[in-house]
Amino acid sequence: MKRIVAVAENTFRESIRDKVLYVLLFFAACTILGSKILGWISIGQDIKIIKDICLASMSVFGALIAIFVGASLVYKEIDKKTLYTILAQPLHRYEFVLGKYLGLIAIIGVSLLVMTVISVGYLYVMGGYVTLVWFQAILLIFVKLVLVTGFAILLSAVVSPIMGAIIVFSLYVAGHATGVFKDLPPQFDGTVSKQVLETAYYIIPNLNTFNLQSEAANNVAVSGAYVSYAVVYGLAWTAMLLILACLAFEGRDV
Amino acid sequence: MSAIVTSGLSKTYKSLGKAPVHSLRDLDLTVDENEVFGFLGRNGAGKTTTIKLLTGLIHPTAGRAQLFGVDTLLPDARRMVGYMPEQPYFYEYLTPKETIEFYGRLRGLTVAERQQAWEQISELLDLRDIADRRIRGFSKGMRQRVGFAVALVGDPPLLILDEPMSGLDPLGRRMIRELILKMRDRGKTIFFSSHVLSDVEEICARVGILVSGKLAACDRITALVGDVPKSVEVCATGLTAEFVAGLGDYVLAREERKEGGHRLVVENTEAANQLATEISRAGGMLLSLHPVQESLEDFFTRIQEGTQISLPEEAQPAALAAAEE
Repeated sequence: MKRIVAVAENTFRESIRDKVLYVLLFFAACTILGSKILGWISIGQDIKIIKDICLASMSVFGALIAIFVGASLVYKEIDKKTLYTILAQPLHRYEFVLGKYLGLIAIIGVSLLVMTVISVGYLYVMGGYVTLVWFQAILLIFVKLVLVTGFAILLSAVVSPIMGAIIVFSLYVAGHATGVFKDLPPQFDGTVSKQVLETAYYIIPNLNTFNLQSEAANNVAVSGAYVSYAVVYGLAWTAMLLILACLAFEGRDV
Repeated sequence: MSAIVTSGLSKTYKSLGKAPVHSLRDLDLTVDENEVFGFLGRNGAGKTTTIKLLTGLIHPTAGRAQLFGVDTLLPDARRMVGYMPEQPYFYEYLTPKETIEFYGRLRGLTVAERQQAWEQISELLDLRDIADRRIRGFSKGMRQRVGFAVALVGDPPLLILDEPMSGLDPLGRRMIRELILKMRDRGKTIFFSSHVLSDVEEICARVGILVSGKLAACDRITALVGDVPKSVEVCATGLTAEFVAGLGDYVLAREERKEGGHRLVVENTEAANQLATEISRAGGMLLSLHPVQESLEDFFTRIQEGTQISLPEEAQPAALAAAEE
């Protein structure tokens, strides 16, 4: 465990120096602060629109951090050869993978916290307020990012960063559209496309499970049971992806 | 107990659509404790592959390797190894002190042990002046020092160094040489690869030579190169060109020296005696007479070229076969 923490701390220090992180955080802050512009064109709905855009920014920019930093996490260590002296130490490879993963999760957590503080402050300045569902929505965004990072680190252990980023991004988009895969129009009945998309529905995590954006924007309460279910669903997927990442890295020559 | 034992250790790289590359084939090697072992071979001969197999960075295709009786695939084996890669890369934003701290944590050292490790290692490698400077701006020599320092964290009994003198200036090479000898005196086993044969000759007890992924020879340097002189060089002055030209076939080489006189080479000491007598009779003056030993470099070149080599029985039987390939 101590070795995992050592790798995680180092990954945190490394990622916090990554320019990509600051560029994405800058754009996230700009989007949050610029949400008022969309509020103006929606008469009487400005607070609702600001809330909606704040949560969407956290979700999208958090995912971009997970994808772009996560997809290069292990690969960069191989490419820069820093991995040689680390793996020659008495640590298990899974400890290295988990350390890298937890370091990035810490970065994502801090980024989300920064975005939360900016959005809550901005909402209060604009005369709005937040309730429990707002924080439940952010919690589920975090769980979603935990899952997406798991997928990013799995790919980071087996493919190049660009390929990894493309695949994770595709999964991110597909994960938000799994409902479409299931509810196809009748003209798809009996086609191969239907079978393929239905299979995709079952093997791609449903990222909409973590979407409480409209509930948070409209202050509609969400049950604790649903939030717990979504957390367990996300963590189960994450555990599976991490096991696969550890197994993939275990047998890899560096 | 032996520090390193490998049996039938092989590594083949396969990639789609390409012929498999046999980087290492059937390596049987034993390195004893407290031995300085030099691992030689040309670029691509399989030295780094062997070292990566020993440090668990890559997995063998066949065979196995053990460090102090523990399989190299187990993390416990790496507890006994300090490894320095050919070009040590570390996190550029860390200082040497932070780097030692980080590797100390990876080795499971306590805070007090890490502090003690830093005190000892920084003194040994003279790192105190650069303790708080980021590695980013370090020269090759400074990085090499940090690399050696990392290998010493946790006081492992075996040091595996991949080309530790590569790219260093004469002072840097000397520093590494002295460090290796100091570590040997402290009871450590050192296994290192190198291209600098003069350094290997100076500090190693035994060497192994890889040719195209096969161990072509492995023995004490004296056993490989022999202690019988390969020729005798005689220098003399006051000789006429006719006299030198008229010397018998037993003189293998003859040339005029820039500084005056002649340099003559004969096969052995008996021939040198005969030549000295002839020089004296001709009124010449003998300046020097010294036996020329075969160097490790000569042996290395011969084995690479696949010329006829005669090895003692204890040297690897694969030698001739490998040389023929």
